[in-house]
Amino acid sequence: MLDVALVLASSGCWFAGALLSAFSRPPERLATGLGLLGSLLALGASIHLLLGGPTSWVVFQAWGLPARLEVDALSAAFLLPLHLVGGLGLIYGRRYWPAQLPWGSGRSLRFFYGLLVAAMTLLFLARHGLVFLVAWELMAVSAFFLVGTDHEKPEVRRASWVYLACTHTGTLLLTAMVILMAQRMGGLQWTVLPVSTSPWFEGGILLLALVGFGFKAGVLPLHFWLPSAHASAPSHVSAILSAVMLKTGIYGILRVSCLLPAIPRGVGGTLLALGALTAVYGVGNALAQRDYKRLLAYSSIENLGIILMGVGLGWTGRATHDPWLMALGFGGALFHIWNHSLFKSLLFYGAGAILHATGTRDMEALGGLGRRMPRTALLVFPAVLAVTALPPFNAFLSEWFLYRGLFTSLAHGYPWSAALGLVALALAGGLAAVAFARFFGTLFLGSPRSEAAEHAHDPAGSMLLPMAVLAGLCLAVGLGAFLLLPLLDRAVAVLAPGTPALLARGLQGDLRLLAGLELVFLLLVAAGLAWLRRPEAVAAASGPQDLPTWGCGYAVPVPRAQYTGSSFADAWAPVQPGLRARRPHLRGLFPGGASFRQAFKEPVGEVFLEPRVARVAERLLRFRRFQQGHLPVYLLYVLLTLLGTFLWMLLRERLLG
Amino acid sequence: MLPDLLIALTMLSNFSLVATSRVSKAIQFAVLQGVLLGLMPLAMGLGRHFHIVLLAVAAVTVKGWLIPFLFRRALKQVHIQREVDPYIGYTVSLMLCALGTGLSLLLAHNLPLKPGTEYVLMVPASLATLFTGFLLLVSRRKALTQVVGYLVLENGIYLFGLLLVEDMPALVEAGILLDLFVGIFVMGIVINHIRVAFDSTDTRHLAELKD
Repeated sequence: MLDVALVLASSGCWFAGALLSAFSRPPERLATGLGLLGSLLALGASIHLLLGGPTSWVVFQAWGLPARLEVDALSAAFLLPLHLVGGLGLIYGRRYWPAQLPWGSGRSLRFFYGLLVAAMTLLFLARHGLVFLVAWELMAVSAFFLVGTDHEKPEVRRASWVYLACTHTGTLLLTAMVILMAQRMGGLQWTVLPVSTSPWFEGGILLLALVGFGFKAGVLPLHFWLPSAHASAPSHVSAILSAVMLKTGIYGILRVSCLLPAIPRGVGGTLLALGALTAVYGVGNALAQRDYKRLLAYSSIENLGIILMGVGLGWTGRATHDPWLMALGFGGALFHIWNHSLFKSLLFYGAGAILHATGTRDMEALGGLGRRMPRTALLVFPAVLAVTALPPFNAFLSEWFLYRGLFTSLAHGYPWSAALGLVALALAGGLAAVAFARFFGTLFLGSPRSEAAEHAHDPAGSMLLPMAVLAGLCLAVGLGAFLLLPLLDRAVAVLAPGTPALLARGLQGDLRLLAGLELVFLLLVAAGLAWLRRPEAVAAASGPQDLPTWGCGYAVPVPRAQYTGSSFADAWAPVQPGLRARRPHLRGLFPGGASFRQAFKEPVGEVFLEPRVARVAERLLRFRRFQQGHLPVYLLYVLLTLLGTFLWMLLRERLLG
Repeated sequence: MLPDLLIALTMLSNFSLVATSRVSKAIQFAVLQGVLLGLMPLAMGLGRHFHIVLLAVAAVTVKGWLIPFLFRRALKQVHIQREVDPYIGYTVSLMLCALGTGLSLLLAHNLPLKPGTEYVLMVPASLATLFTGFLLLVSRRKALTQVVGYLVLENGIYLFGLLLVEDMPALVEAGILLDLFVGIFVMGIVINHIRVAFDSTDTRHLAELKD
């Protein structure tokens, strides 16, 4: 009772803050304070619940029937990143997107940001089909307005419309799913189905959930809205979209699946394979991006793929009654959700700081930011290591869970999907390392490639503070993961009843050992750094340098002679499906001028879907004829419809007998 | 007895509305119809319910005084041509109206009514009035006569609502109020659309009615 009241109060705080921000003279301090209070309340409640508090719920009357709001460990596991990132984003956004901007974009941004967090909070509580759909739509629509904040740019408008079309297609499927579930459960209230009665029916629910929630989660063929939407949104919005809103898709899949009596064995393996494909595809495209926010968005697709692999692994375990596999799969997925929300929002905040300082999203126009924005560089670095799953940072551990799960699965004899998953996970990790080496190297190292990068500077403290918190958490989770195991166990227990504290028992020792090793490693790195920075070495480096006689012009390089990010990533061209390059053919001994062009097109959205959609739209132009512009004609349509309805009512009995 | 008479008069005024060629006559018939229907609840012997009396008084005031007042002002301030100026000829309109009335009688015959309803003519009359309103809306060229059509349409809806006035008084009252409210707003929007689409002088005259 207490926890759900706290979470509801938190949702109310965010909503009130949003309403306050909509005023023509918003009391910004009060609105921010309310949002932060809401975050603290929800964080307190979810931590209390994950530490062992009982599941708490309220039942209220909706449309004359009881509707249930409940917070259990699974909800708490999703509320935790939501309110962490939501609250930090509120602090970050104050300077990043000031409220006093013209055309009111600052106000609408704050309003819909608050609404988004409030709606997602409600979403995680809902155990009633209609309440769930209402919260889902509130979330989707406020995200639409957030993506379109900068709406005087045509590409931003386009991105937000594509997002809206996709999310509504998803909602359509989810509505069908809710109706099917209401049929099966005898009411809109969600209850656990104890025994399977009709496999087709439940299969339909599961399929609709996978596709409908898959749109939100960016599963492979349904991801095409995601990169441009995340690139177009303001950076702290991209952070919350990527860190939490994509995860609501995963939440939905998990929530619906734990209401169903059984998951067929093949579904887990298929989902694992799909996740593997998504991961490799996402990271391959991330490698091809020039726009650093798009790169981060594709990396989100990769990470969602990894999370899906965990879910698929858990479902395999559930179908084969293997508690250890369930614990590793679901635990790995949930842990990766936490980790991804930490490092991805940190990366987006960093990207926002760069965008704020330079005004461009083109990596090839930047460079050398490490010297000009040293604090940003220092804070982004942990996130770069985390996203490439390197120790001692957090994502290493969640991927390690998955590796263990996949090996366990191999050992238990469900080989094909697990083998594919292993290869994909390893490949995705390696390619992510390349992509983020490009990201960090092109942005922060080298020397500036444009005027904009030349004069960049660190952002204000209120933007650095959230980044510092997240960077600290990335490292802390990486080192102190053994403390989090009981919390994960609680959340896994919701998904897989009958696996009490398996993770804490099975992995405690390993994680302690790892943490110890990582500490030693960190100490070694610190010692190495200290040795490199010792006074005589620094003095030697800054003194006059001898240049070789036959340096061939490489001795004092100019910025134009640097490797570009694209040339760095060119070696991995085969895994970048969307990249199209036009290479010049040089002939003869003295070829004339030539140019090299490279462009990226989203393989599913722009290459496959766009021409087909355009063709359908052209066919639909035929119906333009009905739009005459004369009011009486429109009224005639209404009259004819009315007459038709009446005639149908008259003749129905005779026609149908 | 009295209600049946009123309903018959309503149906007759439908035909007059369709057949008349003068704008001012059409307005007068619409107003007459409104007043007749406003008196209906009293004729049905529902005078004992205070809120129904209030409703009848409000309907008669609005339809018998306020709306004709607005119409007259609009007519006086601008020099509207007297002819109705229809897309469809008067004879054809009359035949269509008769067809609609026949169809609504047929339809009402097939509609299940609440057992014990005395006024069997009420449903066909309301449907016929609805059709007439639509016919006027569709077939008349001037925006002012279209407002007349809307008024008649609204009368049809009101008549239908009277069927339920005893069972769900609050709902019907709210419906009527909402109707008037929406009517004023929608006509404002419609007039705007007409202004944009046709750019004709008539619509400017109509803007007077909006105030």
